Amino acid sequence: MRRKDLLTPEGTRDLLFEECAARRAVSERITGLFESYGYSEVVTPGLEFYDVFNSKGRYFPPETMYKLVDGKNRLMVLRPDSTIPIARLAATRLRGVDLPLKLFYSQNIFMVNPKDSGRDDEIAQSGIEILGGNSEAAEYEALMLAAKALLACDGDFRLEIGDSGIFRALMESYNCDEKAAENIRCAIENKELAALDRIFETPVCQEEEAFKALPRLFGGFEVFEEARRVLCGDAMERKLARLERLCRGLCLIVPEDKIRVDLGLVHKKDYYTGIIFRGYIEGYGQHVLSGGRYDTLPGDFGRDAAAVGFAVNVEAAARILLQKDRARFGKAPDVLVFGGKGAEIAALKHCDKLISDGMTVYNFLGECPKCAAKYAKAHNIRRVDIVSEDGAVTSEEV
Amino acid sequence: MENRKVRIALTKGRIEDKAVELLEKIGYDVSELRNKGRRLILNIPNEGIEVVLAKAADVITYVEHGVCDLGIVGKDTIMEHGGKFYEIADLGFGKCEFALAVKKGADFYEGYGVKTVATKYPEVTRMFFEERGIDVDIVKIEGSVELAPLVGLADGIVDIVETGTTLRENGLEVFDHVAPISARLIVNTVSVKLKQERILEIVGLIKESLK
Repeated sequence: MRRKDLLTPEGTRDLLFEECAARRAVSERITGLFESYGYSEVVTPGLEFYDVFNSKGRYFPPETMYKLVDGKNRLMVLRPDSTIPIARLAATRLRGVDLPLKLFYSQNIFMVNPKDSGRDDEIAQSGIEILGGNSEAAEYEALMLAAKALLACDGDFRLEIGDSGIFRALMESYNCDEKAAENIRCAIENKELAALDRIFETPVCQEEEAFKALPRLFGGFEVFEEARRVLCGDAMERKLARLERLCRGLCLIVPEDKIRVDLGLVHKKDYYTGIIFRGYIEGYGQHVLSGGRYDTLPGDFGRDAAAVGFAVNVEAAARILLQKDRARFGKAPDVLVFGGKGAEIAALKHCDKLISDGMTVYNFLGECPKCAAKYAKAHNIRRVDIVSEDGAVTSEEV
Repeated sequence: MENRKVRIALTKGRIEDKAVELLEKIGYDVSELRNKGRRLILNIPNEGIEVVLAKAADVITYVEHGVCDLGIVGKDTIMEHGGKFYEIADLGFGKCEFALAVKKGADFYEGYGVKTVATKYPEVTRMFFEERGIDVDIVKIEGSVELAPLVGLADGIVDIVETGTTLRENGLEVFDHVAPISARLIVNTVSVKLKQERILEIVGLIKESLK
């Protein structure tokens, strides 16, 4: 038998020291932002019933969820997502609370990644959900907070916005079965331009022209111009106008070059019903923020409410931050305090005093002053305070 | 973090040769790629482009994780390996197909018994039969798959067929077509957004030189 008691499972890790500091810094900055905008915090259980995530319309593939059984042999999962539990919460314990609800969370989600993919199975996320309210105002607020959350992680970010309603509307007026629709959606999501060109070699209707064009419609605001050439009809025009208004409005708060448009965003997570958006930061190969509008999800649990929200992958953002500026997080305490035998209490009292003066301290637990100095040197502590039994202090710079 | 060069991952071997030709046709200086020795990272001077040589499945892994921006890899590997990236162009070379082959004259779909299929590509095989609602046992084989039906391990094989010579010489024949294959240009989903202009410029040049 291989020893498993010394390892963490694939896709998980112990976080140490500056890794913790970086993660906490990111999550504090982001949750601090949410709090300053008046959002209320919620925590949902790590363990949920399997059914919460496996009804139609909020489909998580079973093979991507960690499953276990409870004491009554019922199937449970480690939550793969926080939005769905919050929709449940809004329909249950918060059903008596008036809309709009502005909620934020900071908790871990779990997913089974393909073997040896090097991806995290446990991810710390912070995010918000806005339920109810004027929908356009809610979208502005969600997008603005998304941009600010990304900015809190890294200056070099992009916030990309699309509208899943465009693809949905096209599919509704286009006649094809579910399987074909899924194939088209997949090809658009993965920007398989060649595959789409093959499927629609000679487009016979506006929808087919549009499907071919969608994955190419990404970039700056010039995209709207191009989109109007292929997306026809009043309903499409209204959707595009709304999206453009949103993007241009956002530019008054966020620099324009940070805002991108991608009309080819057609997530698999198909509880999204309207705008969808993603955030990218330099140095991470996947999106670090993901969100959108999900108007039908709360209704699935029995509370009709339009909703919009997003989550930030705190884990990823922290890792990038750490890579770019490791020194900032491995900060040594300001002062090493050494009391020695008989002066333990005096040393602790001295620590208290230093802390109340705004310093950080390290109370050395070894035996001799020499060891204390050695420790201070090895750990970059610049000052050593030796405390005697009567509380007298001698300071030395290292 | 300094702005690193645009990195293109090439699948070593036949795809690499074709891809180098393609890059040369664009007008890139590919002398390092032609005289690479044992080096794995090669420069295209003056363009701010680096070429990385890797095994097919690794090309996908590098692109997926974003350490390479672009990759050139066969559709066979994409189908078997899967992953999150944009498959932005069909390069048209390295053409062949996935096919279901059986002993000459045999009817794979006949009867109601569960058939056994030997393959190097269990994922592709599983998807193919799943789509048709056919239950099969899949046996993963590492080397010459043609052997499996000959020695009685399997009723058929799913494998890459180029000319069909190997099949013919071993008394096998194509029974059904699974999927066409050719080399594809893939791109990391974030790279294309953060460095859109530069990446799309390179993609455009590559597509142009295909003509």
